[in-house]
Amino acid sequence: MPKPLLSVEGVEAGYDDVRVLKSCSLEVRGGEFVALVGPNGAGKSTLLKTITGLLPVKAGTIRLDGERTDGLPPYAIAARGVALIPEGRRLFAPLTVLENLELGAFLPRAESQQEETLRLIFQLFPTLREKVSVPAQVLSGGEQQMLALARGLMARPRLLCLDDPFLGLARAVTNRFCQAIREIMAEGMTILAAGQHVRQLLRLANRAYLLEEGRVVLSGPGAELLKDERLRRSLIELIPGADQTMR
Amino acid sequence: MSSHTFVQALLSGILLGCFYAVMALGFSMILGVTRALNLAHGDLIILGGYLGYWLWSGSGLHPLLLVPVAGAALLPLALLCQWLFQRLPEPKELSSLMLTFGLSLLLQNFMLGLWRGEYRIIASEPLTASVRVGSLVLNQGRLIVAAAALILVAALYLGLTRTRWGRAVRATSLDREAAALLGINVDEATRTTFLLAFGLSGGAGVLFATLHYLYPAGGIEVTLLAIVLTIWAGAGRLRSVLLASILLGVIETLTLTWSGPRWRELVVALMLLGSLLARSGGLARSRSR
Repeated sequence: MPKPLLSVEGVEAGYDDVRVLKSCSLEVRGGEFVALVGPNGAGKSTLLKTITGLLPVKAGTIRLDGERTDGLPPYAIAARGVALIPEGRRLFAPLTVLENLELGAFLPRAESQQEETLRLIFQLFPTLREKVSVPAQVLSGGEQQMLALARGLMARPRLLCLDDPFLGLARAVTNRFCQAIREIMAEGMTILAAGQHVRQLLRLANRAYLLEEGRVVLSGPGAELLKDERLRRSLIELIPGADQTMR
Repeated sequence: MSSHTFVQALLSGILLGCFYAVMALGFSMILGVTRALNLAHGDLIILGGYLGYWLWSGSGLHPLLLVPVAGAALLPLALLCQWLFQRLPEPKELSSLMLTFGLSLLLQNFMLGLWRGEYRIIASEPLTASVRVGSLVLNQGRLIVAAAALILVAALYLGLTRTRWGRAVRATSLDREAAALLGINVDEATRTTFLLAFGLSGGAGVLFATLHYLYPAGGIEVTLLAIVLTIWAGAGRLRSVLLASILLGVIETLTLTWSGPRWRELVVALMLLGSLLARSGGLARSRSR
């Protein structure tokens, strides 16, 4: 079996005195789409923030392509090819679409390929090309999410992490988005996505992990997990309206 | 008021505004990038002024030549403050108030010890003359100070928008976490900001000392001016700070010409209050994401 691109082993992490992740382990292999599902507060966002260095690792190891990345600052982890599209998009609101994209290509390796990446991104999201000189804050929610994804892609990452990518998007926009993600996958991108939209995520996923109270309690192929009774129970009990998202 | 007096007051106001901008920019930059209110800001400017005065009275050099010297002299202090700032506990908005208030007291007493309480000014011959443009009379010192201020603002603006480190500073001031995720070393960007802001303040101090008397506790007024202008303009927005400063300078000068010194401060205060109410605060708005 090939070496995993990302391997998380026994990681504990959290905020100040609150330990959110309790011995969390998972793997993402090159070219996979791995979904991370679970109820609110299970630690999905915390795990993504820990992988990208925004939160410190208190115990355990994180390896990217076999090399330890735990303990490195976020910019160094980004330089090794990990990008995160954070929850709430975190665009540079007063800056234009193009300025946001250019900042996405801040890393020297990405900067040298900037023109080419921009061309690919405008192919993927033609709307962004029409709005290059518009400030990010006046875009619609769907366009902002596109820009957030595009800004992450500008860094030419090896591993793309998505935190709740479909949050607050209309159904039509979500479908358009899933299509874009499939196109990115076809180019060979590796994705680790967390979120509440269990059905959409599991349909995209090659494999999935169910997180509960900071631990992986279930893992397997996306389609299989979608049928799993424990997943249904865990999500339906804890998220209001989850039964609608599930069916 | 005749149109001639109006134009004269307008021009003097613009010159005054440029001077205000260079007084406020360092403060605004540090607030934008670190969310820290630097209460020692004015004291840094006075310190720069004293250094300029000391060098000028010793060497007789043109004061403008001393602007970069005084700026460079404050750089080690910038590194020290950034080092201390990094070690402050969260929330830094509050703990930095304690740090910078303490620094302010230290600097004031340091200056009191070195230069006593006497009033000093750089009374340089080439800066006190008047220039006639048609029928308008402008103070040459103010003209030179305004030009120097504009050059500093322009250089800073170009640096922040056209260079790699400038883009890092800008992104960090807009969203620290998002910037870090894009591979930007936000600690380094913070250090760059401290260096730029302190250097700018040291240089601005020399300009200050050519127009106003220096005394060790004089920094408080400058800090207040910087706070007012920054709140008005929105933290870390260079162009808005320049615009707000010029507007303030013009309104101040017009009120002065119109009604004499009695109404100046009242009109300025009312105008600031009114504009803050009208647009619900530049500071608050620039903080929301």
